[in-house]
Amino acid sequence: MTSQLRSTSIMLGLAPIVLVIALWQSLVSFGFAPAVLLPPPGYVFSRLLQQLMTWTFQQEIAATLIRLFAGFAIAVVLGVSIGIAAAASPGINAVVRPIVRVLAPLPKVALYPALLLLLGFGHGSKITLVAADALFPILLSTYYGASTVEQKLIWSAMAAGTPRYEILFKVVLPAAMPSILTGCRIGLVISCIVVFLAEMITSTDGLGHVLVTAARTFQAVDMFVPLITISLLGLILNVLLGAVRSYLLRGFPEA
Amino acid sequence: MKVVPSRSSEWVKPVMPKKPASAIIEIERVSQVFQTSARKDHVALSDISLTIEEGAFVSILGPSGCGKSTLLYVVGGFVNPTSGSAKIKGRTITGPGPDRGPVFQEFALFPWKTVLGNVMYGPRQQGVRTTEAEAQSRALIEMVGLKGYENFYPKELSGGMKQRVALARTLAYHPEVLLMDEPFGALDAHTRTRLQNDLLNIWERDRKTVLFVTHSVDEAVFLSDKVVMMSKSPGRIREVIDIDLPRPRRRSELLLDPRYQKYVVDIERMFDEVDETGALL
Amino acid sequence: MTAPAALARRAAPVFACIGLLAVWQVASLVLKNDSFPTAIEAIRAIPDILGDKESLINILASLRRMALGFGVAVLVSIPLGLLMGRSRAVAAFFNPLLMVIYPVPKAALMPIIMLWLGVGDITKTLVIFLGVSLPVIYHSFEGAKAVEEKMLWSGAAMGLSPGQRLVRIVLPAALPEILTGCRTGLVLALITMITSEMIARQSGAGNILFNALDMGQYDTVFAMIIIVGAMGICLDAIFERVRARLVRWSEPQFDMPLSFS
Repeated sequence: MTSQLRSTSIMLGLAPIVLVIALWQSLVSFGFAPAVLLPPPGYVFSRLLQQLMTWTFQQEIAATLIRLFAGFAIAVVLGVSIGIAAAASPGINAVVRPIVRVLAPLPKVALYPALLLLLGFGHGSKITLVAADALFPILLSTYYGASTVEQKLIWSAMAAGTPRYEILFKVVLPAAMPSILTGCRIGLVISCIVVFLAEMITSTDGLGHVLVTAARTFQAVDMFVPLITISLLGLILNVLLGAVRSYLLRGFPEA
Repeated sequence: MKVVPSRSSEWVKPVMPKKPASAIIEIERVSQVFQTSARKDHVALSDISLTIEEGAFVSILGPSGCGKSTLLYVVGGFVNPTSGSAKIKGRTITGPGPDRGPVFQEFALFPWKTVLGNVMYGPRQQGVRTTEAEAQSRALIEMVGLKGYENFYPKELSGGMKQRVALARTLAYHPEVLLMDEPFGALDAHTRTRLQNDLLNIWERDRKTVLFVTHSVDEAVFLSDKVVMMSKSPGRIREVIDIDLPRPRRRSELLLDPRYQKYVVDIERMFDEVDETGALL
Repeated sequence: MTAPAALARRAAPVFACIGLLAVWQVASLVLKNDSFPTAIEAIRAIPDILGDKESLINILASLRRMALGFGVAVLVSIPLGLLMGRSRAVAAFFNPLLMVIYPVPKAALMPIIMLWLGVGDITKTLVIFLGVSLPVIYHSFEGAKAVEEKMLWSGAAMGLSPGQRLVRIVLPAALPEILTGCRTGLVLALITMITSEMIARQSGAGNILFNALDMGQYDTVFAMIIIVGAMGICLDAIFERVRARLVRWSEPQFDMPLSFS
């Protein structure tokens, strides 16, 4: 794409975002919506910046991030290992496949009350919920990637003297990496969403809790701030993972 | 069966002392049946016996679906024959091993490794020290004409270059037999001829045994000492033809040689016959 | 594949359900926790919930909102996604906006929308609509983008107008991918429904769960989890049947479901 074309498409892409903000502003300015219900965008963003500087708000972010990363990490470790194992061994596959078929379409958030009863109201239940939700996309795409590895890649490595158990780490895992990282990307966004929702449903800290507190006192502006924060976190983490991805997959076509 | 160059050609460098040709690969009554559905079986190979002598360049030629690649996979140890056995130097083949190096039509390079990384994979796997493996690999990369591309990733190379890397990767672990599965099938005509010439040049240095699967008659005649013609449904050996042409072969001379032309015409006619019967079945 | 093997494959998810319930039963017997009823106790409580007129109405109202939100989302998202896939300008226009909306937890919008539109059906349906739209748009976009250019040239040569090409070539060619998106969207509709009801705590299946939790009726909590879980599994299985019929011509797809919130 030429630079001129690219700048045109960036302009085109910014247009709807600018439009939304303009519409938002005009709704308030022309008095269609009272500022109590819909605070003007400028006010929301300055409030966001102001909050980001405060120690208490930073702590809420930290609480959310700890749960997010713990849950996501568990999901990655379990998802990748189960996915690879299911692709490598027909025996494991026969057990895992039906269980995944049952558990994947199950709305995991429905398990949250049960997790609260079993693990209590602290970190444990939220981290488990995040892990349970992020697990399946990672597991499924790992399995998919590992089971579609080009047979001749494996043969080439075996002919070069690679023992069978090493094939898993030296060929299957790297060859499945594009697929695994796609799964991780989906899993990461899910983790962001789920951790926030879990904190909204029941919590004493975290960004989700901030929103609920604001909602109880009808502080519209303070409802927008945590929502924008978690979305920004999601975007930033997504970009970071994208950078990791393009580094790890530098040899793969179309990565 | 004769494998050495014809004595009648004066210009041949008669350097090869004729040692008694010993069998390196023996295929004994190999059959391969694939179950395609609950009721239907597909007989890919039916009762194949073939002996390949050390240092010979043997092509397996046949229409698509005659099981020629399957036969190669049996020798490679990638698939186990339904019945019969294949042996290398008297040992029954039970799985892949570094004594038999495959080169596939699809290149099958590791996309996450550079050219150098791909070529070094075999030696490293054999326990060669990194510095030594790197030196050997760089030499091989130069030999296949890719000096300067050591740090490129496969995706950055053309098809012909990828296949050169694949050849270097396989040669790097010094297999005794090269198993080439339609290696130039995915390349354009011009690249194909260049790679054929280069392969012959490389081969003539150390005369490794080569088992070469192809569906191109002139490729088979140009490269081989022996052409194994197969027919399909079920896959059987139709005929084994000795190619009695002088070496080293030069394309420009060979194309004008009436003996070469006769081989090509005769084998093409035979190819038509086996394909015809196959199509009628 | 032989007949018994095929049968075993069909029945495997049923065995998996039984197995999971058995694990639950054993775990609860071992843990002996008051707030962790056994699987059998939970199953026994299911008829009570479904027999209770008020809870039944609640659940059915939830399902109705879900169907409406899902239906409208699909009707809007598929054309939008297809247009984005075939026109670079439309894609450039919408992509950044969708990228910004993507990581926003849709159910979390509940309190804000409640502030504007009240706690009625509109709010809840709107949230479900938002939740479903994105994956459907995304998959329709990807599907339309991947349509073979030469197929469209052939269509143009046969005299199809751009609109006709979109409906008669792009739509069917992208259908497998679109339906994958719809399948994700369906599970997501259920998830968003439950979550938003848990947050709003007014009515619906999600509310029943937390009311029971607050009142210490633990077997009701777990029975409700089974009901919601069964809904998810059944909806997914039914949709998979429909999908397989509609796109019989396409390559047999990867047969584990893909779902995420």
